[in-house]
Amino acid sequence: MFLTRSEYDRGVNTFSPEGRLFQVEYAIEAIKLGSTTIGISTKEGVVLAVEKRVQSPLLEASSIEKIMEIDRHLGCAMSGLIADARTMIDHARVTSQNHAFTYDERIKVESVTQAVCDLALRFGESVHDEDAMMSRPFGVALLIAGVDEKGPQLFHTDPSGTFVRYEAKAVGSGSEAAQSELQDKWHKQMTLKEAHILTLRVLKQVMEEKLDQHNVQLAQVTPDKGFEILDEVRLKALIDDM
Amino acid sequence: MPDGSFSHPQQRQFNPYTENGGTILAIAGKDFSVIAGDTRQSEGYSIQTRYAPKVFRLTDRAVLAVNGFAADGNMFVKKVQQRLEWYRHAHAKDMPLGAIARLIQTMLYGRRFFPYYVYNILGGIEEDGTGAVYSFDPVGSYEREACRAAGAAQSLVQPFLDNQIYFKNQQAPAGQSHPLHLPLSDVLAIVIDSFTSATERHIEVGDGLEIYVVLTKGRPTQDLEGYRGVKELTTRPDGDRVFLIQRELKKD
Repeated sequence: MFLTRSEYDRGVNTFSPEGRLFQVEYAIEAIKLGSTTIGISTKEGVVLAVEKRVQSPLLEASSIEKIMEIDRHLGCAMSGLIADARTMIDHARVTSQNHAFTYDERIKVESVTQAVCDLALRFGESVHDEDAMMSRPFGVALLIAGVDEKGPQLFHTDPSGTFVRYEAKAVGSGSEAAQSELQDKWHKQMTLKEAHILTLRVLKQVMEEKLDQHNVQLAQVTPDKGFEILDEVRLKALIDDM
Repeated sequence: MPDGSFSHPQQRQFNPYTENGGTILAIAGKDFSVIAGDTRQSEGYSIQTRYAPKVFRLTDRAVLAVNGFAADGNMFVKKVQQRLEWYRHAHAKDMPLGAIARLIQTMLYGRRFFPYYVYNILGGIEEDGTGAVYSFDPVGSYEREACRAAGAAQSLVQPFLDNQIYFKNQQAPAGQSHPLHLPLSDVLAIVIDSFTSATERHIEVGDGLEIYVVLTKGRPTQDLEGYRGVKELTTRPDGDRVFLIQRELKKD
């Protein structure tokens, strides 16, 4: 039977004749609809920032959670289908705890990123007597920030299970403009404070609403204090400094 | 009885464990660690072999000594080495000493209800460059110590180490205190004396002695120059280094 090109995007684990997996590519597209998320790595630590889309004045802005803790020394920001990210974060947390239990040491940022990416391609039809897996690829990209023996690091993962290390990375709807701005403004000697300000400035440029302490969330991972989400008081102070 | 039954109760038992003798010992210094064991393997009054190593290099900074039931010991070391290789593949580095210690605990406790019948002593260099010794019981209880002896002659050697390393029952000269760490040359002399004495007084100890010395990165090696046939077992340059000294012990 002759299959037209478009029929290859039905099966999640069927290559097209050109060697592409359409469902994975569509999943990557899904991220471009997500809210803008930015990560910046400096010598003093890593900063994560997300835009919270507060669609209604009745919506409780504090209930939108797009930056989460994986472990004391690891944080994660997400863009895309947030529900999918929960599965991945769950896996990352278990992996990190297991590592600490077995080896009495903090897991490396790259290792936990690899563990999360191992999940990404476990979709498709299950083989006989194997547990049913996920029916589709994850529709979310993660920015995983952390500090380990190699210092502060930032990793980006996408639905194909690929991960790459970045000094500064933007994902989500405003990512193109944000990424080129980061490329202009990021420099090696950047302080944590400068990174805070830069993430906010870049978010401000790409956001449709006016940026305030309710519609953005900022977090950092530092060697001393580990992962922390900045509260609205600290966020407001930073916005005023901007 | 003709029907195959017995008039009084019968009991049968299979004992899966054997005790294969031998002794191991480890001493930590400020920037080195010494791990040693004899090479005799015996069962009862019979010597099975005069050369069965009980001490193994795991990485360039970790050495494991295993004593008790030899078959369990050899299997356990193989499993630890396998886990170290997996760790190397997953995390692109050698497992640190403290991590190996914790791993050994989880591996031993994983067999809580059919234990490896072995006493482990792990020696090497910590991440901060200090010498370390970790000792374990067969189900995984462990602690970091300055020195430890285990095996057939533990009851002979440990009191000697308590006196010579921890200065137990020794009075420091007026106005002075006992040193916290001994120099490598003193430690090697104590190790050799421990084993020659144990060989004299215990029938299960003897034949050969293997002394592993782990030196922290950049430490001078002149203390080892007086010993014949020192072999370096280090695999990578510019890190901690492992050396092996092999000696004879009495064979009677």
